Amino acid sequence: MIDVFSLLGHGFLVVLTPTNLFFCLVGAVLGTLIGVLPGLGPVATISLLLPATFALEPTTAIIMLAGIYYGAQYGGSTTAILVNIPGESTSVVTALDGYKMAQQGRAGEALAIAAIGSFLAGCFGTVVVAVAGPPLAGFAQRFASPEYFSLMVLGLISAIVLANGSVIRAIAMILLGLLIGMVGIDVNSGQSRLTFGMPELYDGVSFVAAAMGLFGVAEVICNLEDGIQRGLNAGRIGSLMPSRAVMRAVRWAVVRGTLLGTAFGILPGGGATVASFSAYALEKRVAKDSTRFGRGAPEGVAAPESANNAAAQTSFVPLLTLGIPTSATMALMVGALILHGITPGPTVITRQPDLFWGLIASMFVGNVMLIIINLPMIGIWVRLLLVPYRLLFLLILVISSIGIYSVNNSPFDLYLTIGFGILGYLLRKLDAEPAPLLMGFVLGPMMEENFRRSLIISRGDPLVFLQRPISLVLLVMSLALLITVAMPAIRRRREEVFQE
Amino acid sequence: MKSSLTAVLAAAGILLSGAAFAQDAWPTKPITIIVPYAPGGYTDGVTRITAKYLEGKLGHAVVVDNRGGAGGILGTEITADAAPDGYTFCMCSSGAVSIAPVAQKVGYDPLKDFAPVSIVSTTPQVVIANPSVPVSNMAELVQYGKDHPGELNYGSSGIGGLMNYSVELFQSMTGAKFVHVPFKGGAPATAAVVAGEVQLSFTNMSDAIPQIEAKTVKGLAVTSKERSEYLPDLPPAADVAPGFEAISWNGVMAPAGTPQPIVDKLAGTLAEMAKDADVKAGMAKMGATLVATTPDEFKARIAGEVETWTGVLKEIEAKK
Repeated sequence: MIDVFSLLGHGFLVVLTPTNLFFCLVGAVLGTLIGVLPGLGPVATISLLLPATFALEPTTAIIMLAGIYYGAQYGGSTTAILVNIPGESTSVVTALDGYKMAQQGRAGEALAIAAIGSFLAGCFGTVVVAVAGPPLAGFAQRFASPEYFSLMVLGLISAIVLANGSVIRAIAMILLGLLIGMVGIDVNSGQSRLTFGMPELYDGVSFVAAAMGLFGVAEVICNLEDGIQRGLNAGRIGSLMPSRAVMRAVRWAVVRGTLLGTAFGILPGGGATVASFSAYALEKRVAKDSTRFGRGAPEGVAAPESANNAAAQTSFVPLLTLGIPTSATMALMVGALILHGITPGPTVITRQPDLFWGLIASMFVGNVMLIIINLPMIGIWVRLLLVPYRLLFLLILVISSIGIYSVNNSPFDLYLTIGFGILGYLLRKLDAEPAPLLMGFVLGPMMEENFRRSLIISRGDPLVFLQRPISLVLLVMSLALLITVAMPAIRRRREEVFQE
Repeated sequence: MKSSLTAVLAAAGILLSGAAFAQDAWPTKPITIIVPYAPGGYTDGVTRITAKYLEGKLGHAVVVDNRGGAGGILGTEITADAAPDGYTFCMCSSGAVSIAPVAQKVGYDPLKDFAPVSIVSTTPQVVIANPSVPVSNMAELVQYGKDHPGELNYGSSGIGGLMNYSVELFQSMTGAKFVHVPFKGGAPATAAVVAGEVQLSFTNMSDAIPQIEAKTVKGLAVTSKERSEYLPDLPPAADVAPGFEAISWNGVMAPAGTPQPIVDKLAGTLAEMAKDADVKAGMAKMGATLVATTPDEFKARIAGEVETWTGVLKEIEAKK
């Protein structure tokens, strides 16, 4: 333990040089900016900036690139709250209550809750990486395909919980999401499914296109239909800071979200997404009055934002301790390290202590910088809502289009976005929520892949999901959650029966 | 009248420049190299080093255009469809050129739709196994795979990739039997060998080296015909399977119909690059070996690989 602190102290010495501090700030500012610009994500930004980092020391370069990554997590919630556009799968749930709060003139409050929750969660996640990185990586390695399958099941059941309307509609939306997730080349057979011969669809439907279309574009169409009255309460900004009472109300949501995010963030692939969805589902379950959710509940912002920022920090664990990238962004970090002559791997902690501890210390510094940058910015973001909607919606559409195009340099993704925008509009008319659809779309392919891989390895024995303890626990949790969802409906029906 | 005269003159000018000027003076404007993979990856790194060298030698900007997607098929197809004017090239790879057209439907013919220029870099695969597997060399692995057919699992980057086909070729040459477990990409497959979810993999060198160094996996062999300078302790897999080779390469290709003098000139520049010490050091950082070929050698190599993998596919189909 003392060892960790002395090493961390050494890390701070590495960070607290003018150069490293400067590039940490550059990373945090850039990250915030691209997080705020819809569509433009950390992957595109880091890949653009990669060649520019060649002139820097490797540690400095990684500190900056990491700053972009977790800075984007901070900024990503901003558009979700202000204009209902989640830039990443982890901020989909933030949009549910955050946007409702903005419509009620509480945008400043929502943004502040998101920033404070993110800060606390980010710091906690960093402590966990520093103190328990290697043993946690060992735990994450016990997650093989059966465990991932069961985790995805838990995620999908959480998706039913987060829906506010009818359970049947939520299930229908999840199934539609699963269907859209099927598009692309099947990993196990190599056959293309539902691609209509278009190679652009071989890798599946782009998440950014789907999320932008279903949320952002559909929102714009609906607002225009309402006669440019705009769904937002123009002129009513409300207080920028949450009151003490609100902060007290959300503090346990922050704690629970942080813990969930820290734990799930370590798991490669989908961990952070499942964390933010299940954090929201958990809050809705433990709340005394769950009907507030989806109507502007501050806990609905605090929990998922804490979860995704804690996960953003702990997702560095597999990369730093095992040398295994867990996402496209992490793969870019590996690329950056290799180009700087450092091979990330299990030996990086002992061979490159400056890099490892410097990076961890920079996460603390970066989180402090982010909260300092973000809190005063809230006033500016909120004022953005005062821009007349006839101008604002053009701005949203143009910036989104640039962002979507930049992901793959592909015009095809823009057509997809238009298609999903129309689908999103129709779903609204049918009172069906897009969040469960996106959840099915994101988790479905991972669930199928791990299900089939489990069965190949078990040589076709389905009991493998029940024989492995972690998998069994996750499935039991899913079942319990499913029962709590089904109970009210069953009770209601029985009451109806009795009344007759 | 005046406008049609201008048009005629312009047309004549284009014809002339296409026939004579362009080839002597080439290049007269920036060149684009399409990378059919995402920025920051292995092929992207090879391309950026190459682009930097070419800019210095050719005196014009070389733009790297990342068109990732569908395992390299998308960007390769864009190249095949591009204008053969000597200003669009591709940093293609064996996966999308030699294997994908055999394994799945693609919109290009690897032997007809391209003018290969030169291979730039090669890298062999590394045979790795989880430490729990009771073998310590390739001969024991083959013996184990024969004595316990279908017991060991091997991980790959997905069906129809080099990590899949090289093991299938190896099995058919040695008689060992393993079970294929596809993953989404090479890195997760390597991670699964480390975690013990699968027992072995013929994996990318850059993924394998750090794990072998940390002793989280056993390195058994490399898939080139000679030893690799990056892992000198490992023998070639060809020692137990004579003639076996599975190398992935990156090479510059142009759309078919690109004027031969331009192809030859670029191939000449790339042959000079193969002797450059700085470029060699840059490639070494990524585990790539810098090489050069003539356009004809490159063409012959693609034809040979397509034939090999077509044979492997037939065997896989026959097993079903």
